[in-house]
Amino acid sequence: MLAGIDYFIVIAYIIGMLLLGLYFKKYVNSSEDYFLGGKSLPFWAIGMSIVVSDIGALDFVGVSGQAYRYGVSVGNFDWVGSVPAMLLAAFIFIPYFWRGGMYTIPEYLGRRYNQKVRTIASVTWILFFALDLGVLFWASAVLLNVLMGWPIWISIISTAGVVGLYTYFGGITAVIMTDVVQFIIMFIGGFALVFLSLYEVGGWDNMVEKISTMGPEYRNHFDIIQPQDTKSPFPWTGILFGLTFVMANAYMIGNQSIVQRCLTAKNEWHAKASMIFGSALKMFIPILVLFPGLMAVVVHPGLLDGDQALPMMIKSILPPGLVGLMFAAFFAGLMSSVDSLLNSTATLFTKDIYEPFIKKGADDKHYLKVGQITTLVLLVVGVATSPISSDFPGIYVAIQTFMSYFQGPIFAILLLGIFWRRTTEWGGLSALVIGIGFAVYLNVFKEQFFTIEDPFLYISWWSFLLSFIINITVSLLTKKHTEEQLEGLVFSSKILVKNKNL
Amino acid sequence: MDETEFNGRLKEAQINNALGVFILVFGIIILFAMIYTETFVEHMTDMTAGLLLISIGGGMVWKARKTMKKLREKKKNNMEI
Repeated sequence: MLAGIDYFIVIAYIIGMLLLGLYFKKYVNSSEDYFLGGKSLPFWAIGMSIVVSDIGALDFVGVSGQAYRYGVSVGNFDWVGSVPAMLLAAFIFIPYFWRGGMYTIPEYLGRRYNQKVRTIASVTWILFFALDLGVLFWASAVLLNVLMGWPIWISIISTAGVVGLYTYFGGITAVIMTDVVQFIIMFIGGFALVFLSLYEVGGWDNMVEKISTMGPEYRNHFDIIQPQDTKSPFPWTGILFGLTFVMANAYMIGNQSIVQRCLTAKNEWHAKASMIFGSALKMFIPILVLFPGLMAVVVHPGLLDGDQALPMMIKSILPPGLVGLMFAAFFAGLMSSVDSLLNSTATLFTKDIYEPFIKKGADDKHYLKVGQITTLVLLVVGVATSPISSDFPGIYVAIQTFMSYFQGPIFAILLLGIFWRRTTEWGGLSALVIGIGFAVYLNVFKEQFFTIEDPFLYISWWSFLLSFIINITVSLLTKKHTEEQLEGLVFSSKILVKNKNL
Repeated sequence: MDETEFNGRLKEAQINNALGVFILVFGIIILFAMIYTETFVEHMTDMTAGLLLISIGGGMVWKARKTMKKLREKKKNNMEI
């Protein structure tokens, strides 16, 4: 448990976050303010927010743990697994979403294919986000319980109260701006940890030498590219096909909570710049999360649970004050993931489900209220379902696996939707439905198809490939869209050179 | 500068001011935490982190207030004309 100054810092951080988040209430007067920050935010804030929401506290701990177990190859997720995809998103996809004045990714799919594709994509994301919410509430509560000694239910309700209040009132502006603070604190605390850890292990060369002599299981710890028959979940084939080609692109281009941030930019230049700036910042993430995990191999050898590596390093290496700051950043990481899910789910529900199916053509204040009420309902659902996580310890992994079911198919229809004029509504719909079904099938019978324990990278790749082929085949057999229907929705080389200020 | 641009820039400055204050206060707390450290390295780490936060926060507050002042003066001049 934390004591003294560190305890005070965590409390001050939580209260400060609440006050800061509530400050942004004054900027919310319409549904556009609530869901898109009034399209007025600068690129640097959005870029920082993208990085922070991508690397939440659970990933922070998880990546360090994997670096402890498998070495530097986990860094692929933040380098080849992010940077190329973010650049592709910045130059090709974001301009279309931004120029189209869209609120959600399914909205693009609806315009490019049909309403059914939009609804299926939206409902899938809503289900995923809603399930994830309970898990994140539970994780936050466990963290508060361990650090501060608060009972679990008090911890859950305080997290929900703080995050819920500022997300309900401040909308996405509050979400992004609280991320900026978290980013700065995470980077300063993280670099302090790396610096002190290096000092503790006697420098980089000394650490490499020590780890290399620790036994055969550490032989590949410094190989960024792992052989295909590796015991780790990161063989090079999976990294190249599953991660670089599919999951990274699907995440950076097709994930509502990431793309929605870019749509809050004040103009198209800022929207693109936010992704490019985010990709530059992303390259530092492995240094912050991977290195402490590696150094823990020397400082705390023989940990049974690799996920303990980072918390152990923070407790044993950082001085008083920074321990509190880093744990506050952890907690803020969880808060950031929760507030992103709340706001994105409210946007998806209001724009893709409520507006087209429940009440069309109502005034803007009505949709703002619906967004806020949806946030409250999600908060209650998240709190009520959070204890389920304690009964199913593997639920976080299961939810991430669930995400790999639909990322491949969604990316396949997004990619063909933008780059191939001939793709049709039936092509998109069949690719989405069959692709998701195929991913579920592969996962259920994974022992028969794959030799590694957790083949989520391969499942993404094969479901993407099947969806891609089905989309092409069905599109060629069905009636194509007219040129008017495709206007502003398919690729044109002009998008690369011209900015448009709406 | 039209009304929308003016409001946009004012909003950005106000947001930066709020963020800056938050980061500045945290920097001061970390600097204060120096008195709880034991070794020289710990002492220096807290001091560097604290000063870095204070500079970032202070810089944001200074820049935001300068912008807000400039914008208000511009608005006043426009109204006088």
